Amino acid sequence: MSEANGTMNMTTRDDVAAWLDGLSSRLTLIAPRAVEGQVLYRPVAGSAEIAFDFGKADLPVKEYFLPSTHVLFSVEKDKEGLRVEEPALEEERVVFGLRPCDARALRILDALFLKEPVDPYYARRREKTTLIGLACREMGAECFCTSLGLAPDDASDVDLMLTEVGKGGKGYAVQVVTRKGEAVLGGLRLEEVEGTIWAGWKACPTSEKTPILETEAWPQHFGHVYWARLADRCLSCRVCTYVCPTCRCFDVRDYETSQGSIERLQAWDSCMAEGYRRIAGGHNPRPTKAERLRNRFYCKFCYYPQDFGPLACVGCGRCIARCPVNVDIVEVLEHVAWLGQRPARAGERGSRGAGESIMKGGR
Amino acid sequence: MTLANNPYRPYVGTLVGVRDLATDIKMFQVELDDPQEKAGFTYRPGQFACVSAFGVGEAPFGLTSTVGRGSTLEFAVNKVGTVTNALHRLGEGDVIGVRGPFGNWFPLDEMKGKHVILLGGGIGGAPLRPIIHTILDQRADYGRLTILWAARLPSLLIFTDEFDAWRAVPDTELHLTVDQGDGAWTGNVGLITALLENVAPAPENAVTVTCGPPVMIKATLLALARLGFAPDQMIVTLEAKMTCGMGKCGRCNLGDKFVCTDGPVFSYAEISRFLESF
Repeated sequence: MSEANGTMNMTTRDDVAAWLDGLSSRLTLIAPRAVEGQVLYRPVAGSAEIAFDFGKADLPVKEYFLPSTHVLFSVEKDKEGLRVEEPALEEERVVFGLRPCDARALRILDALFLKEPVDPYYARRREKTTLIGLACREMGAECFCTSLGLAPDDASDVDLMLTEVGKGGKGYAVQVVTRKGEAVLGGLRLEEVEGTIWAGWKACPTSEKTPILETEAWPQHFGHVYWARLADRCLSCRVCTYVCPTCRCFDVRDYETSQGSIERLQAWDSCMAEGYRRIAGGHNPRPTKAERLRNRFYCKFCYYPQDFGPLACVGCGRCIARCPVNVDIVEVLEHVAWLGQRPARAGERGSRGAGESIMKGGR
Repeated sequence: MTLANNPYRPYVGTLVGVRDLATDIKMFQVELDDPQEKAGFTYRPGQFACVSAFGVGEAPFGLTSTVGRGSTLEFAVNKVGTVTNALHRLGEGDVIGVRGPFGNWFPLDEMKGKHVILLGGGIGGAPLRPIIHTILDQRADYGRLTILWAARLPSLLIFTDEFDAWRAVPDTELHLTVDQGDGAWTGNVGLITALLENVAPAPENAVTVTCGPPVMIKATLLALARLGFAPDQMIVTLEAKMTCGMGKCGRCNLGDKFVCTDGPVFSYAEISRFLESF
């Protein structure tokens, strides 16, 4: 939050706008933009198109690193045989206006996609993109990043951080976090002033309901009837996985183009889908909504940390805002913590592990 | 544009042989086109690869060939879905894609000196064939080999043309059963669990390897436990519709395990610690 020796580099919104105009003239600039009542990260032609005053974009920037659909390669057949061609790859890009939660989500995705064997498409997009963060001024109604160790002005996952300082938000304190951030700083007029960077962000009521993240205890609640009850109202609409900045499940499909070549596409998928886990021959280890919904929460708080390190949740609250039946991830965390604090009642605990259910002759 | 080390990019290979193994099950023999890729494609019994029918898609299959027996990659493919239907329409000379090898493998070194009991159900016998090959090729390294081979119908038994060769090897038994016989069938009729109870292999100094549909694996593990086999003597290889094969796409998780990278080979001791049933 504070820079050494009590000084900070300040700039004005007008100077930021002029600087972004310069950036957009020589590379792709992706920034929050008002689109039909929503704020979405979109390529912009200049600063005039940018929504500077926004809470949180309606969708995360995930799509610029793991696009909803993209071509892995195309296959051309000709007389010589068959040629596999990879597509042209992204050039230099800058994302402006990234919120700390969405920046953290990229770090979480890095843990999976940059693990050997590295996903070369994701790696290339990450390498070619400079992230310019914009601290939040207040937490939204569904936000709970502070419960997960993040803060609305956390600069640790971006290359350059801008924090609005002072009332009216007309000035920004600028922090250079990485060399990449430094490299795009040229052209931004800065003034060194005395002071401490403090966004003055306000917490929201949700953030006070701190979820108790003792997820080591989660495995013992795996067979609890709670998951089936919770899933009773789930519509399997998959919107939670769609808006989630860390959900990354994908499918791979082939399509024939009208030119006769073949494209192999990587596309978002969702573990909420009924057939997601079905195997050839029809057996489905997660046949009901209860198993699928449970899998999503266990993935976020148990499996992903176990397999890749970080929790797969940043507290952005988009899944809470978008769920049509009010499945609330904060309530889930609280409920599971509560289950651990009281003795189990009769009939609550179903079959637990796979081994146990085999030994009982169960499914 | 060419990316170095792109794990999504398949090797291009040509089908050098396609033959019927059973009703709706074909054996596909592939030679990779690029000599370097062909030489570099080394794998171990139990590993799988993703096979492309270009234009339709890709699906994972256990390698049913064995490295020491030549460069031809072999896959036994049951016609059940879009990719497998497309593969079944291909013939000798057609071009396919292969990515891999992926996953872990059977602990054949640890199995040395032990009696080996293989239990294959239907197409599930395919990934067990490399174990049979390995034991046949290094016969002195292993104890008694007992193969229990099952299918729903006689017409669904795979590798029937190799049965005589397996039986001819010293200290090797092959037991067959089908759920339902036909006019020509004179062998056992019944589930593999009943066959297992009849054969009743002794657990002393023995390892079992089971592959088949999930319901068969579960019943077989229970039957083996009744015969006195301990969890670490029971090895299985599991199936899932792996998309990427390298622990990224998320499709094959069993709790915090991925069938593609933590498996597909697991011991029952491991499985019994899983949160989720397979």
